[in-house]
Amino acid sequence: MSEAAATFTEDRQRLELAALSAPAVIFTVAMIAFPVVYTVWLGLHSFSSTGKQSFVGLANYSRLLADTEFWHGLWVTIALYVLSLVLQLVFGVWLALVLFHAKRLPGIVRSLFISPFMMPPVVAGMMWLVILDPSLGAANYILQSLGLPPSEWLASPVWVIPTVALIDTWQWTPYVALIVLGGLQSLPPSVYEAAQIDGASAFKTFQRITLPLLLPTIVTATILRSVDLLRFFDIIYITTQGGPGNASNTLNIYGFRVGFEFFNIGYASALMLTLTAIVFGAVLAFNRLRGAVAW
Amino acid sequence: MTDAPITDAWIRRLNLLQLVVAGIIVLTPTLWMVLSSLKPSFEVTAYPPTLVFAPTLENYAQLTKTTPFLSYAINSLIVTIGSTALGLLFGIPAAFAVSWTRISWPAILTLAARMAPGTLFLLPWYVMFRQVGMIGSYTALILSHAVITLPIVIWVLLPSFDGIPRSVFEAAQVDGCSVTRILWRIALPLVASGVAVASILAFVFSWNYFLFALVLSNGDSKTLIAAAFNFIGEGSTQWGALMAAATLIALPPLILAALVQRWLVSGLTLGAVKG
Repeated sequence: MSEAAATFTEDRQRLELAALSAPAVIFTVAMIAFPVVYTVWLGLHSFSSTGKQSFVGLANYSRLLADTEFWHGLWVTIALYVLSLVLQLVFGVWLALVLFHAKRLPGIVRSLFISPFMMPPVVAGMMWLVILDPSLGAANYILQSLGLPPSEWLASPVWVIPTVALIDTWQWTPYVALIVLGGLQSLPPSVYEAAQIDGASAFKTFQRITLPLLLPTIVTATILRSVDLLRFFDIIYITTQGGPGNASNTLNIYGFRVGFEFFNIGYASALMLTLTAIVFGAVLAFNRLRGAVAW
Repeated sequence: MTDAPITDAWIRRLNLLQLVVAGIIVLTPTLWMVLSSLKPSFEVTAYPPTLVFAPTLENYAQLTKTTPFLSYAINSLIVTIGSTALGLLFGIPAAFAVSWTRISWPAILTLAARMAPGTLFLLPWYVMFRQVGMIGSYTALILSHAVITLPIVIWVLLPSFDGIPRSVFEAAQVDGCSVTRILWRIALPLVASGVAVASILAFVFSWNYFLFALVLSNGDSKTLIAAAFNFIGEGSTQWGALMAAATLIALPPLILAALVQRWLVSGLTLGAVKG
């Protein structure tokens, strides 16, 4: 093959490869990149009820800083995030260890444990709405049978955040567990054997050997859950819509309501861009952490 | 040393006990939903709740009679299948090209789109789709849901394509095969199981997605998930019908997920964990 012909084939190949990814790239730019730029533009404008727009610069953002509802939403988002994440990581690692020591997992058991996070969060919200009903729900019946006081659950401004965290933990703990289980299964068995020969207790082995080796996997699970938890929406919107009052009004719920219930497009854009910055900030921070704990 | 085997047996029993407890916690709420959907309407709200009852399908009958459940289900199927097909159509060639060239930014671009809160796109989409009169159209819903399915397809298929030995492609190139031909004739059949997992995951997450249909659908194109509100509104006193709706909405993803449970984990983490 002559040199010119080889270059021709290579060029042709490069062109073909570009053409193969072109539909996905064009679609994503049209559906995502362009709309995001448009959102940035919307965030710099104010829209009157007649649809007339005017450039307001960063006014939407300075309004955000003075908006108590924004700070409240940020607090709700972070409280729900930390509570859910801690519960899911603790129970997820526990469940992963239990599954790991069960050795062979029949398909039916695996199907059982993936069922919560394969069902729509909306359905999870519907079913817990009935279970947690303050007057007729099964949860309060169980509490009372045990001699404990009943709870208002989702109807209580104090308990709504822990309750939503509990529902999300029920749904996503098995997911965290399966990720951590994957990490456990990829650990070399030799490290356990060495620890056993040294006579280390089961707890010491876990604390000193298994947990540090699992850290990268746990950080991966943290990243994947953070993305969902920081933009918490479905379960809250279906059960409380941010209530009672504004007790469960996360930033995502607040932004949605400002945009689609109050039709304040400019301010909603500023809110959503801020939330997006928070989500990506968290992802990038945890990604660096993953690099730090890698082995 | 005689007590060592006994300790081992006890540890195993203790582990099994924990597994059973975890299983019960995971299963009970779902089971309660299904049981409630099968209770006679007067018994669903009985307090204390009953466990023994004569099962009936009256809630399901009532659901189909008082709500357009079937047409919501058809809307859901159209949007889900349409967006899964679109995700495969765009995602398969993109995943192949990324795997071949090791130029990963197109894959990362779609993933970044998946990580941003959906409300961020929903605002401009709403403004733009309204301007062209596409609110409530299947097209708008399928396009928006393809934003969910595309990264799933790409990231599930990437490791599959990476797993094909390069020599297979080189041999085909020597025979004069173009890259496009290699993808459709040689590579795609080799990753058929990956395509199956990608399709099912894309289907499940498109089916489950709430936010976009909430705003972009209207009375005629409402999907089951977006219609969940209607069931709750009407179901405030009719838990039976509400739980029947919840059960039916959850059924398709649960059945599909059970089919591919063995391969789900590595797919679900978008390649972050090799399962």
